[in-house]
Amino acid sequence: MTSRPSSSPTSPPPPGPLATSAPPISPQLLHRVGAGALEWLAANRTHFRARTDASTSALEIGERFKPIGELAVIGKVLFREGVAGSQQSAIIRKLLDYAWREVLDGGELLAWLQRREPLSPIPLELYVPFQELGYRNQEVEGRARLARGLTSWTALEMAPNRRLGLARVEIRAGLPPSIEVAEAARRTWLGRTPEPWTAVYHIAYDVTHTVFHLTDWGEHPEALPTDIADYLELWLPVWIEDWASVEHWDLLGELLVVDACLPRPTLDPAAWQLYAAAQQPDGAMPVQRTLPPGDPADTFDLAYHPTLVAAFASVMATSRAMTALTVPQP
Amino acid sequence: MVVLALRGGGDPFDLLGSVLSRSDDPATVAAVRVLGADAFAPCTLRGKTPTDADVALVEGAVGAFPPKPGASSASAWSHWGMRAALHRVRTGAPGPDLGPEPDPETGWVASEPWQRMTHQLSQLAALAVPGLPSPLAAAVAKRPVDLARGFVRAVRRRDWLQAAGAGRWLAVTEGVPASLGLDGGLDLIHHMGAADARVALQVRAAQLAREGASG
Repeated sequence: MTSRPSSSPTSPPPPGPLATSAPPISPQLLHRVGAGALEWLAANRTHFRARTDASTSALEIGERFKPIGELAVIGKVLFREGVAGSQQSAIIRKLLDYAWREVLDGGELLAWLQRREPLSPIPLELYVPFQELGYRNQEVEGRARLARGLTSWTALEMAPNRRLGLARVEIRAGLPPSIEVAEAARRTWLGRTPEPWTAVYHIAYDVTHTVFHLTDWGEHPEALPTDIADYLELWLPVWIEDWASVEHWDLLGELLVVDACLPRPTLDPAAWQLYAAAQQPDGAMPVQRTLPPGDPADTFDLAYHPTLVAAFASVMATSRAMTALTVPQP
Repeated sequence: MVVLALRGGGDPFDLLGSVLSRSDDPATVAAVRVLGADAFAPCTLRGKTPTDADVALVEGAVGAFPPKPGASSASAWSHWGMRAALHRVRTGAPGPDLGPEPDPETGWVASEPWQRMTHQLSQLAALAVPGLPSPLAAAVAKRPVDLARGFVRAVRRRDWLQAAGAGRWLAVTEGVPASLGLDGGLDLIHHMGAADARVALQVRAAQLAREGASG
């Protein structure tokens, strides 16, 4: 795989021609989805927290790492993109502060997991976005270096797109990658550019995550290899239509992020209209169709992921839409 | 019968003989309207010779149901396809010579979204014949990627008939992305959908076109 020639990340090509004759999507609509999602996340931040009193089982604590990790990764994206406005920036900063100090106990919860499971990649995966924002914990870093030195760490069996993600995380942490990124990418489903009509539900998530890892969660869209970008340009419109038509907002949101990572994003107006209309008045995004009734405490575990994705898709698409407005068409 | 002949069996090809019917039987004439140009698919795709009675049958169908003024583009093109197939089996000439009548319009191929374009083209798959130049094929040639997207959509929805029709157009169109995996897709459609003879017909026609193109 060849890398796309490095173009300045500040001047990506403008969006390509739209698949339909609908007018281009308004940046206001894109922004509104993200603002609503962020409000919901901030209002419900305490539900990210793991219970860690003496009676809490390790299994229960472990189950909280997934939402915390996703909050860390996407919170970093929101902070980085900075297109959400100064009010939103303050909300994001407070949310990340809360996640680091209260949810992760200043990194102690990550060190706790490292002591229990020295080979688990989860603590490093969660730590890196915080580290990049200036939150540090020496014990976590020391234990990560120790683990990375073991052959066993590099030999751990995991899905190819997870292995790719770990290689990027290692690089971002200043550690040597367990596998070359290009080789790791080639081993993923997307890296083989297979028949697009075989992309079922779980494969679609493998695709989105391969793109997230290759671009450092949208920070470097130009890092997407040319053959993969070309492949996605061909087939992503079909997958977006596919999952929009069954109202699977969680997967649709991830696919809209992938679109925003392409050299010529479509920012598909029809899909974005449907997506925005699916968001609840309080900002929560349903997984599929609608959320079951109940207050946020009951529905948090269902809603937090699609709502984080909504915030992610919103900032990425808003950023690309703004670029298209400011960069003259060729 | 048509599918059997496309697979290489059923010699000689004798549509009327296979249903023990006469060329002026109204039910048979109507059935040929449904098949459209594919009534002669074994002749246009595999070089078989039609019986005189079958030629008379298709002539009768063409004459009995001319498209009315303002008819849909689909029915106008279906009629065009039958006339072209008739011309081809009578004269052996590859292209149609259809006289002074204007060709049906093709603007919708360029203007419809890829989903609707694919859906409508799949209903006109009888016109997707190698070596049959038509204004319709020329319009399709400008949108191979969109047609390929429609094929993916149809397979994902398990709409085997639409997928087979789209696949047949793809088989005679240049510029189809290699990553589509058309041959494997046609095999899958046949495996899943060939209980419907119309699916079997379209897939076999597409495969014959692919074999002709590669060999």
